Amino acid sequence: MLDARDLSKVYGRGKQRFEAVKQVSLTLHQGEVLAFLGPNGAGKTTTIKMIAGLVRPTQGRVAVVGEDPHRQPRALRHIGAVLEGNRNLYWRLTPEENLEYFGVLRQVPRKVAHRRGLELLARFGLEEKRHTPVQKLSRGMQQKVAIAVALIHNPKLLLLDEPTLGLDVEASEMVKALVRQIAQEGRAVLLTTHQLDVAEELSDRVAIIRRGRIIAEQSTESLLKEFSSSTYHLEVEGDLSPQQIHTVTQLGATVQGTQITYAGTPENLYGLLGALSPVPLVSVQRDRADLTQVFLKLVKDQPDTSL
Amino acid sequence: MIDLLHAELKRTWIQFIRYPTEVISGIVIILAVFYGLFTSAQYIAGPGFAFGDRLDSVVLGYAMWTLIISVNNDIAINLQIEAETGTLEQVFLSPYGAPRVFLARAFASLALRLLILIVVLLLLMGLSGSRLAFPPILLLPLASLLMAGYGLAFLLGAGALVFKRVQQILGIFQFLLLFLLAAPLEESMGLIQYLRFLLPMLPSTGLLRDLMARSLGLDWFTYGLALLNGIVYFALGLFVFRWAEATAKQRGSLSGY
Ligand SMILES: Nc1ncnc2c1ncn2[C@@H]1O[C@H](COP(=O)(O)OP(=O)(O)OP(=O)(O)O)[C@@H](O)[C@H]1O
Ligand SMILES: [Mg+2]
Repeated sequence: MLDARDLSKVYGRGKQRFEAVKQVSLTLHQGEVLAFLGPNGAGKTTTIKMIAGLVRPTQGRVAVVGEDPHRQPRALRHIGAVLEGNRNLYWRLTPEENLEYFGVLRQVPRKVAHRRGLELLARFGLEEKRHTPVQKLSRGMQQKVAIAVALIHNPKLLLLDEPTLGLDVEASEMVKALVRQIAQEGRAVLLTTHQLDVAEELSDRVAIIRRGRIIAEQSTESLLKEFSSSTYHLEVEGDLSPQQIHTVTQLGATVQGTQITYAGTPENLYGLLGALSPVPLVSVQRDRADLTQVFLKLVKDQPDTSL
Repeated sequence: MIDLLHAELKRTWIQFIRYPTEVISGIVIILAVFYGLFTSAQYIAGPGFAFGDRLDSVVLGYAMWTLIISVNNDIAINLQIEAETGTLEQVFLSPYGAPRVFLARAFASLALRLLILIVVLLLLMGLSGSRLAFPPILLLPLASLLMAGYGLAFLLGAGALVFKRVQQILGIFQFLLLFLLAAPLEESMGLIQYLRFLLPMLPSTGLLRDLMARSLGLDWFTYGLALLNGIVYFALGLFVFRWAEATAKQRGSLSGY
């Protein structure tokens, strides 16, 4: 779907020269969600715009379904984008009018654009607002309309730059659900966000960028695993007998009332479980890093190679 | 391409009509100017005498002036506003490519302004009992005039893309346009007689004066040159616009200012 190779971007010249993105490569497959994370000013938006053909890379190339949006405007038929900031729509037009207009702008025949627009409005739960100018919609609704507009031409790749920025909890949940559906339809989604819980929930893979350079890229699952310790937390119902506490402690676990912490191998866990029998178990949980911890660790720990 | 034109017409129309106060104030201004022309043509300075001092000619002069200014303003100012608000990048995501989209926009804007103008003129003709008459052959030099006008619109659009702030340029442009429409350089002698073919629109406005004020026929050779002038400025406008697009993408400055 998307194959971006060695993208670099230098802004300005001479003293003002600034290398915002360095040698960034990203690939995305059908139905995959890639979360593109990084601190402010890391180069996420610049990269997204290079992929969309809006910022010309200093080096490197982009292929979307095999076509380069910088050379062939036709390639833009495969790309839908909701860019950072709150204005991707004409505020004087209603959602329905925006959808039809942008549909035609993306080379969808007018009648088809109109029909698809109505379908999308229905799907996004915006039917009763279809005749209200976008200006008068809530921020969450505007964002939904912007996503609908980005899908009007049935693109294979969807670029979302901070899609949940400024949304309340409920609206964020809605947008998350939509992104999931969109990926299930077989589209590739590249999204940036500073809300790492959103990224953790949605993404199949994460790429972390810092000062223009990718410092980690792998599947979300394996990244989290890598950073998770092998500590287990167990909870039992009722008190353990002194005999049990003794055995358990000997196996290397610590007991605090009904809470047991164990940092041994997964195999030895079963010995521990045996020793607890027959006291009922409430939960067994492995310590799991969340993306926020991973992100902070990666972004802080990396030696500064850029200077 | 037809769909695109239709979509731009519709968008332009909806954005125009959604806020009735703007519509009304816009129409009132045009109405006032042309009412002045109808009642006392000789007292209004400006491009009124561009094509002679008959009512038809005075009206034509003003009409061309307001049309070209408003189309140029529409293109350049809207580009600037959309860059600030953020819709511009969505427009540049069109597989049609920006020049075609903005060409469609220029047509839509012309259609809207022309419509308003025609409505106003019909109204005034009804009120005053005066009749305007234009020989159909006028359409030929008008076409070459508009082509050069579109070229200028693209030049200003390019300025808006690269420099962002275009209000001042647009102010100066109104006077430049006055000169291009009203200066009777075709009456001059010597070098200027030839140089005038190099300036935008001048050969076409000269022909319009021939037809309207001097009751001459259309000189086909001169018209060929006027048409060439229109085509060259149109092409130049498109070329510079493409350059501006590439520059803005290079600087990463399509949005913001
Ligand atoms: N048009 C431009 N001209 C010059 N410098 C720019 C331009 N656009 C971005 N930059 C710089 O490039 C760097 C990367 O910016 P970018 O917007 O890509 O970051 P980002 O990762 O999207 O940040 P954020 O999380 O704040 O949105 C920043 O230091 C920014 O100042
Ligand atoms: Mg950004």
